[in-house]
Amino acid sequence: MHHDDLKRELQNLPVKYLHHMARGRIHRHFRLGKHRLVELMLAFPPDQILAIETELQQILTTRQERLAAQEARAAARPPIPASPFQAKNRPPKKRPTFGPFQPSITLKQILEGIGVPESQPFVPDPWQTEAVEHLAHSDVIVSAPTGSGKTYVAIQAIRQAMALNQTVIYTSPLKALSNTKFMEFTQLFGPDQVGILTGDRRDNAQAPLLVMTTEILRNLFYDAASGEIDLRLHTLGLVILDESQYLADPERGVVWEETIILCPSQARLLLLSASIGNPQDLAEWLQAIRPIPCHLIRHAKRSVPLRGLYLHPTGQLVPLFKNQDILQGKGYTFHPETKQLFAEYEIKPFH
Amino acid sequence: MPPAIHPVDLIEILRRHRLTPAIVFLTSRRACDEAIDTFAHSSARMSTQRSEAIREFLEKFTKDFPSVEHHPLIPVVQEFGVAAHHAGHLPSWKIAIEELMRQGLLDAVFATTTLAAGVDFPARTVVITQSSVRKSQDFTDLTNSEIQQLAGRGGRRGKDLVGVVVITPSPYIDLNILGKGLTGYPEPIDSQFVVSYPMVLNLLKAHSLDQIEGLLAKSFAQFQLNQRSSIHQDHLDQIKEQLTPYGPRECADWITQWKGFDLARRRKAHRHPIVTNDTPFLTACLPFLTPGRLIGLPKGPAIILRQYRSRGTFAPMLSVIRAKGTLGECPAHSVTQVYDRLFEFQPSRTIPWCQPQVLAQLKKELSQLPARLPTVPILPETQETDDPLLAEVLTEEFPCPSCPSHPACKKDFPLASKLRQKAQQLTKTIQALRDGLWHRFQQKADVLHKFGYITANSQLTADGEWARLIRINHSLLITELIRMEAFSGIAPGLLAGVMASISHDDDRPGSYMRLPSGLASMLTQVRAVADSLSPYEPPPLLRSDVAALVESWIGNPQLTWASLVRSTSMAEGDVYRLLARTLEFLSQIYGLKVTHPGLADTAHSAMVTMRREVLQELP
Repeated sequence: MHHDDLKRELQNLPVKYLHHMARGRIHRHFRLGKHRLVELMLAFPPDQILAIETELQQILTTRQERLAAQEARAAARPPIPASPFQAKNRPPKKRPTFGPFQPSITLKQILEGIGVPESQPFVPDPWQTEAVEHLAHSDVIVSAPTGSGKTYVAIQAIRQAMALNQTVIYTSPLKALSNTKFMEFTQLFGPDQVGILTGDRRDNAQAPLLVMTTEILRNLFYDAASGEIDLRLHTLGLVILDESQYLADPERGVVWEETIILCPSQARLLLLSASIGNPQDLAEWLQAIRPIPCHLIRHAKRSVPLRGLYLHPTGQLVPLFKNQDILQGKGYTFHPETKQLFAEYEIKPFH
Repeated sequence: MPPAIHPVDLIEILRRHRLTPAIVFLTSRRACDEAIDTFAHSSARMSTQRSEAIREFLEKFTKDFPSVEHHPLIPVVQEFGVAAHHAGHLPSWKIAIEELMRQGLLDAVFATTTLAAGVDFPARTVVITQSSVRKSQDFTDLTNSEIQQLAGRGGRRGKDLVGVVVITPSPYIDLNILGKGLTGYPEPIDSQFVVSYPMVLNLLKAHSLDQIEGLLAKSFAQFQLNQRSSIHQDHLDQIKEQLTPYGPRECADWITQWKGFDLARRRKAHRHPIVTNDTPFLTACLPFLTPGRLIGLPKGPAIILRQYRSRGTFAPMLSVIRAKGTLGECPAHSVTQVYDRLFEFQPSRTIPWCQPQVLAQLKKELSQLPARLPTVPILPETQETDDPLLAEVLTEEFPCPSCPSHPACKKDFPLASKLRQKAQQLTKTIQALRDGLWHRFQQKADVLHKFGYITANSQLTADGEWARLIRINHSLLITELIRMEAFSGIAPGLLAGVMASISHDDDRPGSYMRLPSGLASMLTQVRAVADSLSPYEPPPLLRSDVAALVESWIGNPQLTWASLVRSTSMAEGDVYRLLARTLEFLSQIYGLKVTHPGLADTAHSAMVTMRREVLQELP
């Protein structure tokens, strides 16, 4: 047999046969790998090579016979019956379907969109007009992300109620927010139309539009219930509770609940809240406890799209996600570069 | 992990990519201040034109809010267009920064995450450096709602085409939490209804108990409890359905019956019964084989000197004296006769087990025995029952052994009893959920009755009438102090100091100021009252340093704001908030002017003195 042929044959053989042949020929053969065994065997003197060749032939023939016998046995064996545990007619396993391949977004594509839009005349979104319209005959809960224009709804609702000579109360959780809103409303409606009541401030309390913190409103309702009328409750037409997600505040949440429970039934309620998980629960609750129907407006889409970037401490800026805009409820895949950079960051020791 | 990016680099990169103005959220107030400090020696200056605009704005702003004039951050704001915004600053400073941001004059604001909940000023870019926030003691992960609140600041309507969130790693970051938070849905909110003392008083003032029960049932808390209880109700209905095949049998409540029977049946006298190899005859004999007893042995009569148990096999053994006068040992089972004859002597503990002279006497007695002697009639127990008492109980109290449904009961009992136990648990849970709120109301009402604010039939007493006007935290402590007349003739400064220490819940450390002696004794008194009320109302922190701080502000009308802030290690914003909160508490006390005119006057004069400088400039 030619030297190369022998080498190839040996290399094709499972290593256990090589060890078998190496017994008594190579010292401590069991410590060696296949490659080294073949190498040493080929370096033997010719007479020994001849012996190896004959042994190899033997091994190959017995091996072939054994394989053939195995195949024959497998063919003769009856087929395995189906397992009784395997349900029949089971629908085939559902594989996740991938859409057409989409390449990851590039930094340039993300940065391209940044800029200042041309000034357009303000057009209210459909959900905003819907909210104002429903307020005529029902309570309204608005759950929308920050900065999507809940204040517009409030202002329109106030206009609508003030046109009907009703009193409007606007509450916010923080004194600072109340002050800001007071200034904003004063500019819009005129100073004689807006009053403010907070823990230590009391301006123009007879105005048709009153800005206050929720605690103050709750106290007013308490006093009104006990007969010390401090408020023109019969003309109260609209109560706006801004940042209603404070209902879940561990310390102050109870105040919002009390306010809603004690709110007189002829007044409409407008609850403005950031995005929360269960606004329908709130709506069902209001529906259950108040004689007026309740309309829920759930607006999840941001008015300005949001994009993600990842800034590595070295100053490298890469996209955060694989796709361009951050969307809700669609899952997420980090951009490969972000993944790599962040993994590097996590592994690196602190200097 | 390597350190986070340097603030100056961060701002320069944002500027280069037209990503300003930006809000950078950092972990702590200190991190914000340090970030601003790093700008002082950098070259990241703004154009002189914008610096000039900021300077002009601040000049105009200072006219309305003089407290901003000497703010230490002003040079950095003017030169670099960056500012810090956190709860440690005065509200006027925060308003200035917000206004600058709205006008687009600033490039970046370094803020803590608390900003996200409060006032709103948007920017083009939001930089997030953390995925967890410090809450009381340890760090908790940001929730989806919180992350969306932060990200929601990015992108101004009408001013930006897109908003951008930049995430830059710091040691406090887990990228997956942020990814989930940005793309996931916000968490559902849960009611946090708590029944407080002022609530009970105010509701009782205007409503009857029945009406109040109706009002509480209208709360969102009850709505959510009902939702939960309806889930339990469904579960209970299912279980009841499963229980239908196990209805009444021979006895109406067979599960309880079987449970008792099963327990009785399994009852055993001993866990491990004592096993002896004694024959029944021997067991019956043993009580008679006492020292002095005449017995018959195969070799002849003998008198027992002692009874004992052998060392190895624990077999009962006897030491005896035989007719010849010899002492010997023999196993008890070799006794053939037990005679009705007992010789009195004093046994001793050592060989020969009695007095030697008794031995001679016994030998004499043995030699003089008559031919026939009466024997003790010994009846060995023949019947073998485990526990005769138990057998009696089983047949008398329980009809089960002879009941036709015995096998069915035996088979069904494990499942049926488990189901019934579950059903009982669920019924209890549902009951607790339905009545929980009302129960809590009643508990509070009981406490108020105990202290005499309401009568037994839930009417407000004279004390209750004014106590309901105190609608703040720790109201019970305050009303109790007023009833004790702890504040009678008190100086306005002292009153304000005490109110400050009651109102202040924050445990950020402050410096220890010199405590005026009047205030110290007053606080000791208040602390004693608060401790005695602790079963009914969690006691306030009652920090003496904040009390001293507020006392010095009111006690010394010439004190300037700057020197007040210098006298403590608290941040300026914290001092402001402390004073504002104290003002709120005092105004509640001022509300008692009808019933407590003297106290209300003191509170009013404290409020008037308090409102100066910084506290006056804000409406």
